[in-house]
Amino acid sequence: MDIKTITALAFLMPATAAMAVDSPISGVVEPKCSIWTETAGVYGHPLPYKLTTKPADGGVKASIRVDIAQADYYKTKFTHPNSFSSSPTLTDAVSWTGSTVVGAVGVSGMSAYEAAKVTYNNVTEFNMTLAGSTWFTVESEASYGSTKSLPAGNYTALIVAECIAK
Amino acid sequence: MYSKVILALCFVFCTTAHAHEMTPAYPQLKSSYIEGVSSAKMKLFNRRNDVSYYLIEVFTSDFKPIPFASSSISTVSSKIIMVGYNKSKIFDVYIRSSDIDRAVYICTQSKLLKQTDQISLITSRVCSKIKDK
Repeated sequence: MDIKTITALAFLMPATAAMAVDSPISGVVEPKCSIWTETAGVYGHPLPYKLTTKPADGGVKASIRVDIAQADYYKTKFTHPNSFSSSPTLTDAVSWTGSTVVGAVGVSGMSAYEAAKVTYNNVTEFNMTLAGSTWFTVESEASYGSTKSLPAGNYTALIVAECIAK
Repeated sequence: MYSKVILALCFVFCTTAHAHEMTPAYPQLKSSYIEGVSSAKMKLFNRRNDVSYYLIEVFTSDFKPIPFASSSISTVSSKIIMVGYNKSKIFDVYIRSSDIDRAVYICTQSKLLKQTDQISLITSRVCSKIKDK
């Protein structure tokens, strides 16, 4: 074997050692519901007896996004507060109002969710028939006694957002 | 003026998105290593940086609670699972054979800490439906 052949072989050896190896990236697409808490919501205090999330009264409405990976596998339920989870001692009754509406939609057909929603007590249910993102806006208002001043302190109320497989 | 300041501050601080996910949507109950007990494997993904603890729950079709056990090794409770931000956790739910006919939903619910400054809070709950129910 001459020197040229040996040199050629020496160059070929590392080249063959660097063979490509498949490195697959795998993923699974399955029915899935994600609840995104985009805006937690803040109560404004426009009157001594009232706490409200209305922007005109200094509040911020809660915004919750629901992502549905596969159409027609889930329904969503939103429960707006009907009590404080923590507050100073209150000696009189608090009257609660609230609502949940479809805020924005990722797919135009989702606009129909608003007309088809079911509301009972402080719960609003939506049938998620399409895949994609839907933004829901939750509003809440609390009035203390018959126009009594709310005692000073921290008030906390909970919104419950649920995704339930059908 | 104050309303505008609150709104402007909230636009900056309140609009960070956080998510709660659980799969599969339709878990299958399989015989476990314990006689008379079936189990389902679930995966929880926590993208809520304001939440570290989730409550595991099992319900009937009309959301009546059903006794169960889980593979959670949390020090708080066997029904509370601790999941860090942007982490996922796989856990098993064990249901007695005598309760299998009634069990329909397996749910996880976010648990918020009592010591928080936020005035309005959002609890998220995701429920999967046991296959063939």
